[in-house]
Amino acid sequence: MSRPAFTTRKAGLIALCLLPGVVFVALFTYYPMVRGSVIAFQRYNLFDLTSTPFVGLDNFRAVLAEDRFWTALRNTGTWVVVSLFFQFFLGFGLALLLRRHFRGRGLYQAWVFFPWAMSGFLIGLLWRWMFNGQFGVINDLLLRTGIIDTRIGFLSSPGWAMTSVIVANVWYGVTFFAIMIMAALQSVPRELYEAAAVDGASRLRQFWHVTLPHIRPTLALIVLLRVIWILNFPDLIYSMTGGGPAGSTDIVTTFLIQQVMGGDYGRAGAVGFLVLGLLLAFSVFYLNATRFERSR
Amino acid sequence: MRTTPLLAALAATTLTIAACGSGSSSDGGGTVSLRMIESLTSPERTKLIKGLLAEFEKANPGVEVELISPPLDSADQKITQILQTKKDLDVLEVRDHTVKSFSNNGWLAELPTTQWAGWNDLTELAKKKAVEVGGKPYLIPYGFYQRALFYRTDWGMAKPPTTWEELYQEGKKMTTAERYGYSFRGGKGGADYAVQMISAYNGEALDPEKSFYLKDKKTIFSTPEAAQAMDLFVKIFKEASPPDSVSWGYPEMVQGFTSGVTGMLIQDPEVIKTVEESGVKAWSTAPIPKGPTGYAFQPVGYAGWGVTSFSAHEAEAVKLVQFLSESKQSIAFAKGNSLIPISASAQKDPQFSQGAWKAYLEAQQDPKQVITIRPVDSPGWSQFLVDSDRDVQALLTGKKSAAEVLKGWDAFWAGQAS
Repeated sequence: MSRPAFTTRKAGLIALCLLPGVVFVALFTYYPMVRGSVIAFQRYNLFDLTSTPFVGLDNFRAVLAEDRFWTALRNTGTWVVVSLFFQFFLGFGLALLLRRHFRGRGLYQAWVFFPWAMSGFLIGLLWRWMFNGQFGVINDLLLRTGIIDTRIGFLSSPGWAMTSVIVANVWYGVTFFAIMIMAALQSVPRELYEAAAVDGASRLRQFWHVTLPHIRPTLALIVLLRVIWILNFPDLIYSMTGGGPAGSTDIVTTFLIQQVMGGDYGRAGAVGFLVLGLLLAFSVFYLNATRFERSR
Repeated sequence: MRTTPLLAALAATTLTIAACGSGSSSDGGGTVSLRMIESLTSPERTKLIKGLLAEFEKANPGVEVELISPPLDSADQKITQILQTKKDLDVLEVRDHTVKSFSNNGWLAELPTTQWAGWNDLTELAKKKAVEVGGKPYLIPYGFYQRALFYRTDWGMAKPPTTWEELYQEGKKMTTAERYGYSFRGGKGGADYAVQMISAYNGEALDPEKSFYLKDKKTIFSTPEAAQAMDLFVKIFKEASPPDSVSWGYPEMVQGFTSGVTGMLIQDPEVIKTVEESGVKAWSTAPIPKGPTGYAFQPVGYAGWGVTSFSAHEAEAVKLVQFLSESKQSIAFAKGNSLIPISASAQKDPQFSQGAWKAYLEAQQDPKQVITIRPVDSPGWSQFLVDSDRDVQALLTGKKSAAEVLKGWDAFWAGQAS
């Protein structure tokens, strides 16, 4: 036999080596997830934790019966799709620009990637003041340059609020796409471009027939990751508008935070459960649609 | 036996970690370590508390206090999490919003009030608030938050408004293209101002001990007076306040006043310091406006220090709370934080009866400026805080009518009463 025997001893060693990782993930990822899911079926209100009976689907019924939940769900669609669209294309553009060599590129890259290292909550607070309708710097600049002649209540008018939080989110997320796409671009073998150039392919065709097919699997994966992260990113909205005015910037995850603030952990658990289901369904659909497996 | 040293090292590590884990315990030298957590954290306040703790440690050799200062926004959540583990916490900041759930869940120890000279030095209000929830002293307040009207004296208003109607009229007069009469709060915490107006309009019929209800047990939201108050509330927003204030919370409304955008602001005494340090020079304070009935109602906000029911060093923990609550320390704390003090001897202190503080003194002496107790001990209280703010924004942006909002609030609180 050329293959070494798989003995119990070896199996034991492998298991032992894997153990810390498994325990860590189980303890800090799966346990809270399972616990949160169980809470979704309990009456679990911070007001009185001495009695937390199981209540079946009551929490789910209560959540689904709320108009606010459905509004939040619709807003979530806008929030994710529009944010993702601009983050993707601006990030792609930035990655292509940063691929070229120029003086001070390293420094410039560091500056560009900086927002990604900041806390979402902090970014939200900064934008909240910049977008302020009365003393915000954005209004001031627009007024001084004569683009507008009355101040805009970016965060106080239901029509503007969603646009404003999305602008902040795009600013924050472009960087992530730029980092990831740049890494992918660097993995495209140079010979392919040379070969294409010899065959007389234009820049555009090189991009279309060499670059794009090569980085497609990476693109598919980071888009999936971003969809999940944007949906799970209430920090920015919460610190900018708290979901307001009157729920016009509420997404499912800010709605979830409000349930927690209201002390009803059971209902919050139910919302979390629904979000999990939604993302799972989306991931399965998306991976099938992009044939992620086969294109590798 | 090659594994022995490894095992020994592992065991030692485990023991060390275990030892680190049980923070508040006495070590061999007889030192007692207390662990304390604050909630309304701010850098200056943490410094102030640390100074007081150092004095406590000096006065009580052998006792050490470790202060945990979580960020303000998630502090109460963090405290709740620690309390749920029932470990490693001796002294904590308990707020009017949290005392009910903390005591309900059996996390707070009852504090002794006899055999402590400091108790008799507390004001009547402080004594009352200490035992307000559950009838037992689960905390000793460290100070009170109460609102007053801050107003510009250089914007053509001869004297401060005494009623909400006057505030509306004066506010409208002050409003021009560049500035506004009133620092409206439509964002987080905005519903509280609507409730304040509704209370004033209900007047004498209101039950101050349970301020969302009338003496005849109906809710304050069910009356025609409530509808009048709500209409005026919207009018003040539309005609005398910045349109942007739909989304204004605490920082924006204060900024509105200190940056000269708004002429009137209703806020807590802590703002006195902020306004003094701002560019606004001509300003004064007055008691909050009344309703047509001549009454004004407001709850007094408070927080204090409590001891956990599972503290391993209860005696020392109680000692610390008492130390912080004695007149010298509590007055220093109230001054540093711009709070209404808990110590009766503070009334002799000139700082609390001069300048901007005079309005608070005046309100305290007026029998028609009534301090109320909100139903913070109702199961739905936290939920209402979240929902009502949203209703106010819906009202201001025209998505809901005043009648709809009031009907919802009435139904909610009628349900809570049963």
